[in-house]
Amino acid sequence: MATHSSKALFSVGRTSFSYIGLSKSTSRVTYATALSVNNPPRTKGFPDRNGRGTFPRRPKREPGEPRTEKMAPDQDWTSVYPAATPFRPNSVPLPVRMGYPVKGGVPPLKKGNLELIKIPNFLHLTPAAIRKHCEALKPFCTEWPSALDTDPKCDERFPVKIESREFVSAGPSIRNPAARGVQLSIKLSSLNLDDHARKKMLKLVGERYCRDTDVLTIRADSCPLRQQNYDYAMYLLTVLYHESWKTEAWEAEKTVADMEEYMWEDSPSQKNILELLMRMKVSEGDGQEAREQLLERRDVQEYKDSVTRLKNEGESESSMLQYKEAVKKVLNV
Amino acid sequence: MAALMAVRRQFLACFRLTRDISLVRCLGTSFVHGKCNLNRILLSQTPSTHFHTSALVSTASAVTVTEEPDTLLQKVVILVKGHDRAVLDSYEFFASLAAQELGINVSQVSEPRKDIERMTLLKSIHIFKKHRVQYEMRTHYRRIEISHITGCTAQVYLEYIQRNLPEGVAMEVTKTAMEKVPDHILEPMWKPQPADEPNQ
Repeated sequence: MATHSSKALFSVGRTSFSYIGLSKSTSRVTYATALSVNNPPRTKGFPDRNGRGTFPRRPKREPGEPRTEKMAPDQDWTSVYPAATPFRPNSVPLPVRMGYPVKGGVPPLKKGNLELIKIPNFLHLTPAAIRKHCEALKPFCTEWPSALDTDPKCDERFPVKIESREFVSAGPSIRNPAARGVQLSIKLSSLNLDDHARKKMLKLVGERYCRDTDVLTIRADSCPLRQQNYDYAMYLLTVLYHESWKTEAWEAEKTVADMEEYMWEDSPSQKNILELLMRMKVSEGDGQEAREQLLERRDVQEYKDSVTRLKNEGESESSMLQYKEAVKKVLNV
Repeated sequence: MAALMAVRRQFLACFRLTRDISLVRCLGTSFVHGKCNLNRILLSQTPSTHFHTSALVSTASAVTVTEEPDTLLQKVVILVKGHDRAVLDSYEFFASLAAQELGINVSQVSEPRKDIERMTLLKSIHIFKKHRVQYEMRTHYRRIEISHITGCTAQVYLEYIQRNLPEGVAMEVTKTAMEKVPDHILEPMWKPQPADEPNQ
């Protein structure tokens, strides 16, 4: 029906239909423009008298030569693209091609290329521009203290580490709820704790302590602001520290099951080995002094070390070997 | 002892620098030539004849130094995410060159593995269950790790980087600041004798 080429000129026509049983006539009138698309450009201002009398159009300017022709090779590019702007093919003197190639051909030219406009370009961030920006930003920067060049030195002077996150993204909202969390890490060896305080601190803290690295991690993200979460984390650290130094009355009821690590003194193992040795050497006589003498013997000490190591560190090749040697020595096997 | 004194002197020297509004205006206009509108830096437009004379004069005087001690950041990790790997390549070049120019120590630049989220949907709005269409969304990552940077420098660098973040790219910054043990934790409040501990 409609022709693809623009050479055809439709004429004004009228078509009439008649329905069966009805004497209605529908008239359809088609209109056409006398000017087709690919006509040679006419002189301006004169509408075609054959057409419907279009109003005079604005005179059409010819596009001049692109700016790239006038660009010198040593121009200041930072003034051509000072800020982030879309790609302008007439301002970029590069023969860029982008897009899926036509069959048997090459990717399309840069002129009128939507792919080049869609993709973010970095023409405003050439190395020269970056250097200029950094020169202007340098007065606001401060230097890192040269005495803190290695990590161990930093950890020694500044043991408390505060970790926080910031997010930058585009979307309906610029806020990110994960940005208010604060994580405080500290090595317990840098705190002033004695034996009892350290054990109590470990019990209070539970899973937040990592035995391998000796790091206590407190994560605070229940408050709405990051500053509040930071204050809460510091408050928790303070409270934990002071509470662990306190000794309550009920702490005296600590049983063997509450102990963090195995203690050989007053354990069934000690009782057993002492009774065994007493029965083996009946001639030395019974009594407290005899037991103490036995305890001070070197092989009994070795036995104590091996049993403690087995219980605390678990079973392994070397610990079992050590236990075997100690038992053989004690029993003179 | 001498090392301690040197360290203490340097800590006193690390004061926070604040940005003066007039200098920001200066910075912004020094990049503007002609009639380019800057959407990112919110400034009032000044005519181009004005900035050349005032740029150099007010740079040195507009930097204010406050008494507040500067924060020390042991590590700053910048993770950039985008759908286009080429854009992230260019951004990484920009970020590392900027860090080099500002004297920032970039310890590591790596490319974590990309994530592909795939979904299989029905092709037709009604019935035809056997005919589906599959879409996928690829997210590429780039990780830049900076170590031993002061709070002021980090603020300047991050603001510069973030203002020039391209469209369609997201960033996540993880800062690890280091601080001294607070004064109230140095000594315990309670006397460590079980006889006379104060009641809670």
